[in-house]
Amino acid sequence: MQLKSDIFVVAVSSLTHVGMLGVELGRRVVRGEVPALCPLDVPHPSRPEDVRQRKLMSRASWMSALVMRDALAMARWSEQREEIGAYFGVGASGAEMDDVARLIGSSLDEQKKFSLARCGKEGLDASNPLFAFQIMNNFTLCHGSILEGLAGTNGAYFSRGLGTVTALEEACLALVEGECERVLVGGADTASHPVTLAELEREGYLRDGLVPVDGAAALALSREADVPLGRIESIWVCPVERPRDGLIPRAGVLRDAAVMASVDALAEHPCDLLVLAPWGAPAREILSELPEALAIKQSIDLTNLLGESLAATPAVAWVAALGMLVETGAKRALVLTAGPDGDLGAVVLTRGGKR
Amino acid sequence: MSQRRAVITGVGAVSAFGIGFAALEKGLLAGRSAIGPIRNFDASTFPTRVAGEVPVVQTNAAFITDQLDVFLRSGEADRWERSGLLRDRKVCFGLLAATEAFLHAGCTAEERRAALSLGLGLEQAFLDDLAGEYVDGRMRIGAGAEAGGEGIRFRSRVDLCAQKIRSVLRLSGRIVVHVSACAAGGMAVAHAAAMIERGQADVVLCGGSDSMVNPLGVGGMSRLSAPSPRAEASACRPFDRRRDGLVMGEGAAVFVVEEESRALARGASPLARILGWASTQDAYRATAPRPDGSRARAAMERAVRRAKLQPSDIGYINAHGTGTPLNDVAEAKAIRGLFGDVPVSSIKGAIGHLMAAAGAIELAACLLPLTHDVLPGTAHFEEPDPECPVDVIGQTPRIARVDHVLSNSFGFGGQNVSLVLGRVE
Repeated sequence: MQLKSDIFVVAVSSLTHVGMLGVELGRRVVRGEVPALCPLDVPHPSRPEDVRQRKLMSRASWMSALVMRDALAMARWSEQREEIGAYFGVGASGAEMDDVARLIGSSLDEQKKFSLARCGKEGLDASNPLFAFQIMNNFTLCHGSILEGLAGTNGAYFSRGLGTVTALEEACLALVEGECERVLVGGADTASHPVTLAELEREGYLRDGLVPVDGAAALALSREADVPLGRIESIWVCPVERPRDGLIPRAGVLRDAAVMASVDALAEHPCDLLVLAPWGAPAREILSELPEALAIKQSIDLTNLLGESLAATPAVAWVAALGMLVETGAKRALVLTAGPDGDLGAVVLTRGGKR
Repeated sequence: MSQRRAVITGVGAVSAFGIGFAALEKGLLAGRSAIGPIRNFDASTFPTRVAGEVPVVQTNAAFITDQLDVFLRSGEADRWERSGLLRDRKVCFGLLAATEAFLHAGCTAEERRAALSLGLGLEQAFLDDLAGEYVDGRMRIGAGAEAGGEGIRFRSRVDLCAQKIRSVLRLSGRIVVHVSACAAGGMAVAHAAAMIERGQADVVLCGGSDSMVNPLGVGGMSRLSAPSPRAEASACRPFDRRRDGLVMGEGAAVFVVEEESRALARGASPLARILGWASTQDAYRATAPRPDGSRARAAMERAVRRAKLQPSDIGYINAHGTGTPLNDVAEAKAIRGLFGDVPVSSIKGAIGHLMAAAGAIELAACLLPLTHDVLPGTAHFEEPDPECPVDVIGQTPRIARVDHVLSNSFGFGGQNVSLVLGRVE
């Protein structure tokens, strides 16, 4: 979808192993200053209200709240927050494993077998009463909204990639259709959560080169801006055909879909920066052909540097792309994401506010 | 402004009344309640022992083959059972509702280009499988050797139901999975209507599916003290002065929503128009709705405005009406303030709270006023509450002709959505 109205990016924030950064993330990528992948060190809550709420939050929810707050501060949106919209791609539930262990451990009988009878009494008694607030997927959006007072139009989409691109599309359309004047959009996920790791292992993704990491990113979008970082020109949500019951599309199908999505997204405009975010080796091999096929000189494989953070990957890639535009002086970037959901997202960003 | 209009041309439902939209329709028209003891697992030691449970004890290959035979490939259901995915009841319910809607709308190969917008509940955790990995006080789960053996499934992925619907119906459009807790089903239908109006899709299958009637679902909600402490069929009494909590339900509702002129051109029979929708957030607390209902009211107000109607045009409101002390007061205040004396009911007393599917099944109930001139009742409502100053329809459905209805869904976490349906002339 080509956006016919101007949608400006006013501020950005990301949380990756590189740190909590705005456009600086892209600058560091361009300068080759991205450190080797390591576990993400998430800042601890310090404000009393954060400390209180953190007890109800999963790690992804807290990370999401942090980037939301950072983007709001950088956008200087301190007033009339009630009408700010919020659209996020969110991942799987992220219960604390200690809580799970307490529930299970207290539900075992004398033979160390799981007992439903014990679960209903001793198991529940031993579990965190606020467990449900940690595991609900939408709380990755809602906790941040509560802490920051965002009460406008909204959406929370399960994402292993495309859900976050859908969040961006819906956020932009909410602005275009006048449902709100300002909106936060992003994604947050914890691919390193033990149950998610087990899932990715069993589904074959880890074998095929997916490097799971935690991450979060948010972008503040508006119809009006004095000095915007950039503009969103087009968003393409591209479902890709796959075999029945299969998770991954066939190579040729993904290749054709990637070329078509890129061509549609660029709509014959020149492009001088290609940001790729393939989930692992099969998608990487196909997307690596695109710089030549599209005749784009500068390109970067972002997940190769930052890892795959599932629902967060597209948002991290958009934040990085904006910083790269600023650092390199390039005018237009195509960000192509190919997550482990098998589908493609193509987003075109331009530097500054001019068409 | 767009001339494209979204209409509902097919519906499928699975609820405590049984499998199929006809069962839901029959139960609601009769003013019955389907709440009863939980049967799919032994809940005798759990704080909550009643639910609006779909009358199927085990969702397995035999069950799914019996229901979906023509859509399945040889041995497919057996493979699904072996991989453990049929243990997640919402996968089965969503498949059943989607195929029913697809057939009801008379969809053909052309409609396989449809998009899919579903509201789905959180992952179902399988405690038996998790228990196998409990070693020395910690869970031994992760990558490599800690990923579990053959047939082990620690949880079902959130989008599993949507992926199965896509493959069984061979849909080629985009998939959107809304995870807005109890607002998800309503959000999914609103998104579908928006996609139709904007021209992003001509046909969308949309709705919701959920089941938390499992040990962790029931246990987790009980720890929050959300369910009624009474293990009785009348446990959920929306808007009643004596209400003391919700009753969990399970099931699914899926609609075929399409562009009106296209639907008419292919000979489909629209059941209702989707005229307006809007979402807001409470941004108040994780544990409670905003007491003044102001953001819920904003969602209703905007949905009516988007439908180009006045509040006085709305003839019936299907409330979120959970039967919890806090929700019903806030919602009633918001409704009263905006609409005055409009008839209101909640079907949660009859089928329970379907969580992510609640908005969808309640929108299915909203077809009754528009197709049968009957406003559904509120099971177990007996004593009006002065704190809920709205015209609550009691247990017996009310006969009335109305042209526009509104449905509310409010999610844990504070996401609100309202939808307006209109009669097809």
